[in-house]
Parts: sequence; structure tokens; C-alpha cells
Amino acid sequence: MTIDIAAASIEQLAANQTGLIAIGAGLAVGLAGLGSGLAEKDIGSAAVGAFTEKEELFGKGLIMTVIPETIVIFGFVIAIMMLL
Amino acid sequence: MLKPKQMSKVLLTGHKDVLEPTIETLHDLHALHIEEYAEDDYFHIGTPLPGAENDSKKLLKLRSIASFLGIKKPYPKPINARQLSSELEGKLETLGSVVSGKLGRKSQIEADLKDVQTGMHEVEAFSGIPVNFDLCGGYETLHVFAGTVKKGMDVRAGLKGITDEYQFFAGNTGVFILFVPVKHREQVTDLLAEYEFGEVKIPAIPGTPDDLISELKNRQDSLTKDLESLSSEIDSVKAEYEDFILASEELLSIETQKKETPLVFATSEHTFVIDGWIPADEFETMRSRVEEATSNRVYVMIVEEPVDEANVPIEYDNPKIVKPMEAVMNLYARPRYHEIDPTTFVFIAFPLFYGMILGDIGYGLILLGISLYGRSKLHGEGWNSLFTVLIYCNIVTLFFGILYAEFLGFPLAGLHGHPGLIPGWDTIPLFAGLGGEMVTYPIHRTHLVTTLLVVTLLIGVIHINVGLIAGFRNVLAKHGMKAAVLEKAAWIVLQVGIFLLLFGMMGFVPSMLPGAVIFVLAVIMLVAGEGGTAIIEIPSVLSNVLSYSRLLAVGLSSIGIASAVNIMSGMMFESGGLFIVVAALIFILGHALNTALSIIAPGLHALRLQYVEFFTKFYEGGGRIYNPFGYKRIYTED
Repeated sequence: MTIDIAAASIEQLAANQTGLIAIGAGLAVGLAGLGSGLAEKDIGSAAVGAFTEKEELFGKGLIMTVIPETIVIFGFVIAIMMLL
Repeated sequence: MLKPKQMSKVLLTGHKDVLEPTIETLHDLHALHIEEYAEDDYFHIGTPLPGAENDSKKLLKLRSIASFLGIKKPYPKPINARQLSSELEGKLETLGSVVSGKLGRKSQIEADLKDVQTGMHEVEAFSGIPVNFDLCGGYETLHVFAGTVKKGMDVRAGLKGITDEYQFFAGNTGVFILFVPVKHREQVTDLLAEYEFGEVKIPAIPGTPDDLISELKNRQDSLTKDLESLSSEIDSVKAEYEDFILASEELLSIETQKKETPLVFATSEHTFVIDGWIPADEFETMRSRVEEATSNRVYVMIVEEPVDEANVPIEYDNPKIVKPMEAVMNLYARPRYHEIDPTTFVFIAFPLFYGMILGDIGYGLILLGISLYGRSKLHGEGWNSLFTVLIYCNIVTLFFGILYAEFLGFPLAGLHGHPGLIPGWDTIPLFAGLGGEMVTYPIHRTHLVTTLLVVTLLIGVIHINVGLIAGFRNVLAKHGMKAAVLEKAAWIVLQVGIFLLLFGMMGFVPSMLPGAVIFVLAVIMLVAGEGGTAIIEIPSVLSNVLSYSRLLAVGLSSIGIASAVNIMSGMMFESGGLFIVVAALIFILGHALNTALSIIAPGLHALRLQYVEFFTKFYEGGGRIYNPFGYKRIYTED
């Protein structure tokens, strides 16, 4: 009887671990996405303001806006590596 | 190809007598970028050629006619300019009088119509009352009330308590007219006030309401008919004169442009000087043609003195197939004169990255179809470039789609016993990849993440180093070998150091020492070249390379959306019955959404890799736009 309980709890432990990994991966993408969003909101609004006044700044504004986008890509890569 | 066109600074000097043929020749050549002259003590800016004012007046008139007629025909057959020029004056006069007559009539009819509608509105309130409006005023012994009371109130019942001497007429809309003797006026006013009386103004038009209404209706109908026939007349004028208007608008624009250019020339009492830039290979043509047109009375020369490169206007010098990519470049900035023009690199890398990210036969075909259709329907340089770039991108997408064997998120080939969309096609294992993965054909991106991640990072290393080599060349041309080595080559050395360190860690190289030595050497070079701030930038090597992992990551998220749509609609489909319709709806809407995302996400990310990771290694940009004196004729031909 005791052996059965031990086996069950090991299985449960493994299941728990997979679950925790999934949560961790989700947090990696989600929090990184939040970070990107927070950074981009300020840059984006400033960039829109700049290029409505001077249209040539569109390219530069776009670049500035997407720079923090890398953060979420890092999060995504980490998430995938955790899941593998 | 990798540099902007070679430019020569030129000066043209001559007597004012030959100014006109000179302008004519230069305009035809459409190659000289004229520098605007800033006035000083001796030379002044020129005055427009005779007739300039007249031409701009005509142009103004023509444009107002064009806007009244609503002309916007895209690309008709060109008209002969000489013939047009001879008949322009007379035709414009006729057109002007025709149009101004119609314009006057149109505004008259519209004003009348408005009056009729206002009148109608006033009279309609009294519809059904059999009293002539003429009889509703001007009495000494009678007072007239016209208006409404609160719903359900009986005015006549209330009047009984005051007098029997009254006339009451109620219409269909609840409005009534009440005649009472003047002596009862105040009592009746009080009574009506209790009933929440709202006065309605009696129109000052003679006639009974119903007669008036039908009369106004007839008038409205006839005015509307007039307006319709007038607008069909305007349409026929438009159809008749459309080509003429477009062509003469162009002709007059050209004439005004020519006649007003002396405003940017330097002139003295008898001479003129034109200062400008011309592509070096067109200089001889310009010289011989100007000299021929003025019988050698204009002196054309190249100015050899060194000039600031920021002043040179930039004209791209790319093969035709690469040209559409210039739009992507212009979005960022034109190259400077001594810089490498990276359009060709972008031409290779941008569609490649886009295709790698999207890599789906279904989306590739849809977007290829859309862009081919768009290119045939929408004209203009901007649209043409946009759609051509999309076509390039989606051809590469199709190639990667075949490599990945994906169709709208479905795998075409089977894997691990799961059948693909094409029955009988099974994935073939080729060789072992990284992290225990197996490289197969077709490549299943979701099952080959580690290997593909490393591949994308290697692509990043290659791309960044191409940028650094270009940067080396730029700095070499501008500041010499020492600066080039310390500022650009040092970054390459740094990467070698990092790789040797990594190999040392993994045991491919027996010791980590050589890596460490090279790394430190590179850091010293960087500090010597760029100063202490270079140390802060060292981690950017890593983040730049890691940034290329988006080539895999964005693609995976696109697959994720597509397969989510497929699974949802598949589940609906299996439920049968009405759910099949829902399944089709989910499928179509979901993939439409993902198609739209498939332009934005891979496009932006591929673009960003060019702008942020690649261009920052070598590209400055900010060149002036080359804007040659001349006109691109559409509606006329010489």
C-alpha cells in the first residue's frame, strides 16, 4: 500500500513539474511582452508625434518603436527552451 | 550599384538673350538639379520670362474648372503638345464660358430648391386645414391662434365655458387655427396656456395649405429634374473636355515651371549664371545640347573645387529589378554621397527574412495574388514599389513554404504517424541536427526549434558582419585605415574572440586562453577607437545576434494562430449539421485575419532587422533628394 502511494506521488510530482514549467514559460512570454509594451507605448506615441510634424522621420520613428520588441522575442526563446 | 550615381557640379554662364533656349534645352534634358541662388550684392535672382503671369492665371482657371467638373481620369492617351498649345487659348475660353454658365445655373437651382423645401416645411404643419392663409390675419375684431396643445386636450370643450362665438379648424398634424373675438382674447389665452399651447407661425403665403403643398411639391419636382438634367449636361461637358483639361493642365504646368525658373538663377544686368548638379555621365550631352541650342553663347563648365558631401543631391544607381527596394530605403533615409548604397543588400535580405518567417504556401499564394492584382489596378510610383516588394517577398515565401511544406498552417507531409494534408507523403529524415533533433525534409519548424534557432543566429552573425564590412569600407573612405580598423574591424575581432571563448567552453578548442586574449585585444581596440562608451556597447553584439531568433519565433507564432484556427474549425466541422457553416466561417475569418497579420508581422520584423541590426553597423543616410529640372509628361507628348 505504501509503495503505491509513493509511486502515485512520484507521478504527481512529475505532472506538477510539467505544469510548473508551462507556467514558467507562460510567465516568460507574458512578462516580457508586458515589458515590451510598456517601453513601446512611450516611444510609439512620441514617434507618432514626431512624424506627423516631419514625415521623413517615419523610418527612424519605426525603428525606435520596435527596439524594445526584442525583449519579447527573448522571452519567447526562453519559453521555448524551457518547454523543450 | 553599391554607390549612388556620380555627380558633377556644373556652372552655366551666358547672355540673357539666350536664357530662353537654355531653359528649354535643360527642361527637355530633365537631368540638371538646379541649386537655388541666394541673393547677394552684385547678382540678383532673375525675373520670370514674359507670359508667366498669364500662364499661371490660365492654370488657376483650369484647375478651378477641373475641380468643379470633378476630373480625375488616371491615364488617358497622350495628346500632341504642339497642337494643344495652339488651340489652348480658344478652347479654354469656350470651356470657361460654358462652365461658368452652368455653375451659375447650378447654384441658382440649388438656392431655389432650398427655399421650396423651407416653405414646404412651414406649410406642411397646416395640412388638412381648409382655410386660406390670407384670411388668417389683419382683423380688428378677431384674434387668431395657431398652434398645438397637449395631446388629448379638447380645446372646444374648454371654450364652451367662455364663448360660443368662435371658429375652430384642426388639421391632420394636430395643428389648429382658432378665431375668437378680441374681447375674449385674454381668457382664451389663459385657457390655452393650461393646455400647454405651442404657437406655430402662419406662413405669409396666400392659398389653402393643401393647394400650397401640392403646388410646392410640383415645383420641387421640376427643380430636381432641372438639377438632374444640368448635372447630366455637366457630365457631358466633362466627358468632352476631360482629356483637354488634363493635358492642358500639364502643358501649362510645364510652361509656368519653365518661365518661372529664372527666379532661382543668379543674374546681373546682362548675364545669367545657373548653378547645379548633373549625373557625371550626362554632362557631355548637356554641354553639347546647350551649346548647340545657343550657338555656343553659353559657357558650360564643371566646378572642380571640393564640396561638402552633404550638399550633393543623391540619385540611386540600381538595376531595374532592385529599384522597388529604394522605397524601403527612402523610408529610412537616402544614402550620403560617399556611402555604400545598401539597396542591393536589402533587396536580398528583406525578402529572404520575410519568406523565412512566413514560409507558408497558402498565405504566399494569397498574398502573391493580392499584390499582383494590386499592382495591375493601382498606379503611381509608391503603390508600384510597395506591391513589387510584396511580390518579391511572397515568391521567397513560396520557396520556404515548399521547404517547410506548410499550407495555411496545415503540414502537407505526415510525421510520426500523424498524416499530413497530402496522403502518402511522409517526412524523410535526413541527418541529425542539434539537441537530439532530426533534420528532415520537409522541415517541420515546430519539431526543429533548437537547430533552427542556431541557424537563425548564424544568419544574424553573417548579416551583421556584412554590415560591419560595409562600415569598414565607409570609414576607410572617410577617415582612413586606422579609424576603420579601430571602429569597425575591432567588432569583427571581438566576435572571433567570443566564438573562440565559446568553443573553448564547449571543448572544441583545448584552451579558452586564445579566445580571452583576442577578446581583450578587441576591447582595447574599441576603447582606442570609440572611447570608453564602447564598453557599454559590447553586450549589444549579443543582443543584436539574439534578435535574429525572431526569424524563427515570429514564424512559430504565425503557425500557432493558423493551427488554432484549423483546430477550432475542425472541431466545429465534426459536430456536423449547422456547425459546418460555422466551421467555414471560422476558417475564412481566421485565415483572413492571419493573412493580414502575415503582411504586418513578417514585414515589420524583416524591416526592423535591416534598419536596427544591419544599418546601425555602417549606414548614416540623410542625403538630399535629386530633383532634376524638367517634367515627367503623362497627358501630353512632344
